[in-house]
Amino acid sequence: MLFYTGCRLLFVVAIGQSFACKHLNQHEGLFTRFVLQGIRDWKLISSAAPGLKFRALSSSSSSSSSSPPSAENTESPETLSRYADRPWEYLESEEYIERYGSKPVWANYRRNHKGGVPPQQTRKTCIRGDKICGNPCPICRDPNIIVHYKNVNLLQQFISPQTGIVHDPTRTGVCMKQQKLLNKAIETARDCGLLAVQLPHVDYSKEDYSNTHGAVAPTPAPVSLRSGELWYSWYGSIKPDERELARVKRIYKDYLKPDV
Amino acid sequence: MAAFSFTRCLVRSYFCVKCVDHVQTRLQTTTRMFCVSTSRSTQFTDTEVQDILTKITGLDLKKVFQPIRQQLTPPKYKLMTDTELEEAVRKAEEQAKHLLKMPPVLPERKPINDVLSEDQMLEGMNTAKYVFTDINFNVPHRERFIVVREPSGTLRKATWNERDRIIQVYFPKEGRKITPPPIFKEENLRVVFEQDRHEDVLNQCVVQFEPDSAEFKNVLMLTYEDIEKHGKYDLLRSTRFFGGLAWHLVNGRRIDGLLVDMLQRDLMQDAVRLVRLFNLVHPQSESAQHAQRQQATDLNLLKIYAQYESNRAGFIELAVQTYEQTKAPSSF
Repeated sequence: MLFYTGCRLLFVVAIGQSFACKHLNQHEGLFTRFVLQGIRDWKLISSAAPGLKFRALSSSSSSSSSSPPSAENTESPETLSRYADRPWEYLESEEYIERYGSKPVWANYRRNHKGGVPPQQTRKTCIRGDKICGNPCPICRDPNIIVHYKNVNLLQQFISPQTGIVHDPTRTGVCMKQQKLLNKAIETARDCGLLAVQLPHVDYSKEDYSNTHGAVAPTPAPVSLRSGELWYSWYGSIKPDERELARVKRIYKDYLKPDV
Repeated sequence: MAAFSFTRCLVRSYFCVKCVDHVQTRLQTTTRMFCVSTSRSTQFTDTEVQDILTKITGLDLKKVFQPIRQQLTPPKYKLMTDTELEEAVRKAEEQAKHLLKMPPVLPERKPINDVLSEDQMLEGMNTAKYVFTDINFNVPHRERFIVVREPSGTLRKATWNERDRIIQVYFPKEGRKITPPPIFKEENLRVVFEQDRHEDVLNQCVVQFEPDSAEFKNVLMLTYEDIEKHGKYDLLRSTRFFGGLAWHLVNGRRIDGLLVDMLQRDLMQDAVRLVRLFNLVHPQSESAQHAQRQQATDLNLLKIYAQYESNRAGFIELAVQTYEQTKAPSSF
């Protein structure tokens, strides 16, 4: 048990120094299993060493109590969490408050990358089939955090409170798959009215609502001509040029009616 | 003027033949009159009614210019003299008045059932409807021809819903969706009303629907009913929807809740104006007739209303008495 805690501490410290994931793969399968379970159950290292020790001990006690079902835990990272039906309840539970406090879930997550500038896109996904990657993103590392459109408190953590824009994944550290799910959930929540939307002001002064135009009203009946009335009123007022008229009459003399 | 417009709209409703007044209708930005039965009663667009409604709505600059969530810019600081500050406040008030313009209350639009031609020989040629739209840019949307060729061969004008959808496809408006979002369903509305976000719902409604459509009126009605049921009148005060709420309640003869709320907040003048509006809209009611007979003004109007029409007469009279006793008689 002591050796186990020692390994866990070592592992946790290694992560803190941002060692690459390939160190993990070189260990035996058994240790990898423990490590995977460690990712599932680890408590966050945000405070100083006494806090760390306390958390390591508590995590070891919890891991010992939950080690019998560890086999099914490590089989697939997609096992159904307790909060699958009501994901919003997790954000009020003691577990969540102890783990994250009042900060957003992505507050203490740090991406691992080479160099000073991180790649402008986070990884495509943290979980492929059974395998979970090293240093998973803030949503994938906690199976109780489920992205759902009714989970408004969680969605609010990924929206800027001042501008109302969804945070970029380079800022929060979530993988691209989870970011897409987040975008969809935020859009659905906004459509259902669970999240506030900023809408433009509608101006009514320029529109005419009489609905009398033929496009939207019943087609008016055709105008019937009274006797002697012309279809176009300007028909009657046009007079042809006298010389043109004489010329045309001379040309078609043989075909004109006798009285014209 | 009223008589002339009455006869004009009689002509329009019964002989609906020539749309001669194109120029006039374009200049006219107000609503069509209720031509059939209530042509002489007060309308929403009467100057006196609008005046009363704007005064009741109030002008709380802090609420109207609440900081909205948008792209942030660094703040600008200006050093101003007193006169410049007053000028700036005056400009802000004008802008606020423009923002508080009420959405129009219009009669429900009549459905379009106009078949232009029936061509039996086209039957069975297509399996889908074809929609032909006039997409000239300078045509107002209400004069745009949109026709539908059914698979059975009939060429008909598009219905109002189809028109709205097609116009949103070709000339998208900001914030409007092609299909109405699920916020307007009953269960979602209930959730939003519990969170006291009636103004957000109304903003969504105003952006999504046309003011003379059935859905617009339905959502407004549901919101007003909920507000009246729980007495949450203050949520809409100093927004552009308060006028519509007051009009809805006055037409339904249910201004007791609103009156009581105003009296509780010491808005005596607003209460008097509300009763005056009630008398204008229902001139045959007892309180209006008594007020007319006695030429009552100010608090006497309230007393007459409390005596004859109200269900909460006790509270209103008590409030009027306390006001008369505690405050010095002020000139309205």
